[in-house]
Amino acid sequence: MSAAAATIGRVQRRAPLLQFVALIALFIYGAASISGFSASTSIRSMLVLASLLGLAALGQTIVMIVGGLDLSIPGFIVAGAILISQLCGTHHWSFVPAFALILVIAAAMGATSGWICHRYRIQPLIVTLGMGALASGGCLAWTGAKLTGAAPAFLSNLTSASGTTFGLAVSPVVVIWAVVAILAGVVLHRTTAGRRLYATGANPRAADLARVNTSRVWTVVFAASAVCSAIVGVLLAGFSGADQTLGDPYLFQGLTAVIVGGTTIMGARGDYTHTVLGALILTELTTILVGHGYDTADQQIIFGVLILIVVAGYGRDRRLRDTI
Amino acid sequence: MRELLRSRPFGFALLLSLALLAANVIAEPSFGKPDNWPQELASFAPLAIVAMASTPSILSGGGGIDLSVGPLVIFCNVLLIHKFFPHGLESGWAAVPLILLIGAAVGAINGVLVTKLRYQPVIATLCTFFILIGLNLKFGASPRPAPAGNWTTHLGDKVWFFPGALITILVPALVWLVLSRTAYHRQLYAVGGNQSTAFSAGVDVTATRIVAYALGGLFAAIGGIALTALVQSSQAASSAQYTLIALAGVALGGTVLGGGRGGLLGSALGAFAIYLMQTLLSAVNVPPTWNSVVYGGMLVAGVVVGAWLMTQRPALRRAAA
Repeated sequence: MSAAAATIGRVQRRAPLLQFVALIALFIYGAASISGFSASTSIRSMLVLASLLGLAALGQTIVMIVGGLDLSIPGFIVAGAILISQLCGTHHWSFVPAFALILVIAAAMGATSGWICHRYRIQPLIVTLGMGALASGGCLAWTGAKLTGAAPAFLSNLTSASGTTFGLAVSPVVVIWAVVAILAGVVLHRTTAGRRLYATGANPRAADLARVNTSRVWTVVFAASAVCSAIVGVLLAGFSGADQTLGDPYLFQGLTAVIVGGTTIMGARGDYTHTVLGALILTELTTILVGHGYDTADQQIIFGVLILIVVAGYGRDRRLRDTI
Repeated sequence: MRELLRSRPFGFALLLSLALLAANVIAEPSFGKPDNWPQELASFAPLAIVAMASTPSILSGGGGIDLSVGPLVIFCNVLLIHKFFPHGLESGWAAVPLILLIGAAVGAINGVLVTKLRYQPVIATLCTFFILIGLNLKFGASPRPAPAGNWTTHLGDKVWFFPGALITILVPALVWLVLSRTAYHRQLYAVGGNQSTAFSAGVDVTATRIVAYALGGLFAAIGGIALTALVQSSQAASSAQYTLIALAGVALGGTVLGGGRGGLLGSALGAFAIYLMQTLLSAVNVPPTWNSVVYGGMLVAGVVVGAWLMTQRPALRRAAA
């Protein structure tokens, strides 16, 4: 028994095995207990929801790898959604310059957060909280909270569950997510840049002594996180329309996806593959709960209890007496 | 100046609060009138108490943080309005001990999850956060006003001549003051500073942490009472909003999120600065759409200026962890 547990533990350290098992088990349970759960339309809409959640959690994943925490995600999501709707819908910009402007603004503000946190050694929690308020608040103040524009129509097709990509019966956003996931995996594990992230997260001082420019790592990572969130905002503007509370669910759900996936808040453990599984597990759970007729209140409670159960499998700390 | 700030981590929040207080009085002279103090204190109290409630768990270190204090405040508010008042528990003498006990119990559950069951604090309290929000939505699905003339109205106004809200703010502060005379206080800072060292020195790390989370829960329950006194209705929909603002107050107040440094007074001052920021914005007629821009800007500028004042030499090349 303990030999089996040791083997599982060994595999688990290399790959998110238990998360994968949980994902499959949940799917089998859903398919058995809810009619239509395994139908292709239902799978396709789950994939779209998971890809939006997963893309929103990409930034949080890399920020947590370097040992930070990003609370500006909802702010940048709202900013992205409002800006694309207003610029394209009300001010009649074409998509490309509007999108480019959004990326530049998000990157600049995110980079500022990262640089400030590193330079002045301030907890990222508070800087990103303020920066997120600046981003979403700035857009609201600019529009006077009157959101009149609508996002370009092709964005709705990008995120439509019945959309197709080059003839494949998969929504384009899911394909984008898959490409992003592969790219993130390659960058994190196969490039020097990825190594620098893990080195910075594991021990910033040692990383500095190994001539890693940790200031640049922090700046780039927070900029990347802000850009990811803004892109999700642009996608969401097509998916559900811009709204000032649009980003709120993605903060705690995204954090949950990252944590359930197995990336730890202490830094340097986990990667984006884990988060992808986390986002899929969460979306499956929500769908199953809705399918069984639980209302929002029940969902929240069951959600909380289930995360405890899921994380009990692999995410607990060592005993204090074992760490000395 | 810088020496002072270094030795007193809450100094920055204090200076900021004083400056904002002066700005408030200049912008709106009636702000300083003693007649208005009970109302002003009442609207400040929930904010201050939530910030104080977040502090002990953070001080206890090990990545300790309690995300569930915000929903717990609302949970106590919803319990009071939907369970206690309609079911005959109208006397404050019976309701207060019960609600404090419930708050401390929820906090202790968090503590057990973190210590005995070895969950990361963020995950454990995120789960309590979800569960409490769910319960709030279940119990308080339809917002309801509190019955007229119930005992909490005094806390929102005056008890004899004394602003009632000051009592709710002072209770956690007094509990903390008493604790600071005990060995527990030193054990908490020892555990927060370095858990391995504290463990090796024979401190019961588990018990110290559980008590820290229970204290946070207790303070959150007091916050629930203060909130009920202020709004006189149930607020299930606003379950999520207090946590982040409380953490901002804690960080502004100089408590290090890594644990072991800071204190309750700093958190209350940090919350005070945030509250004064909000009142100042409405006093100078900034359109409400600009609120979060100014709020975010001051938060970022505030911590940068604070950090700049506190660092003498160029920042050590070490990430803010």
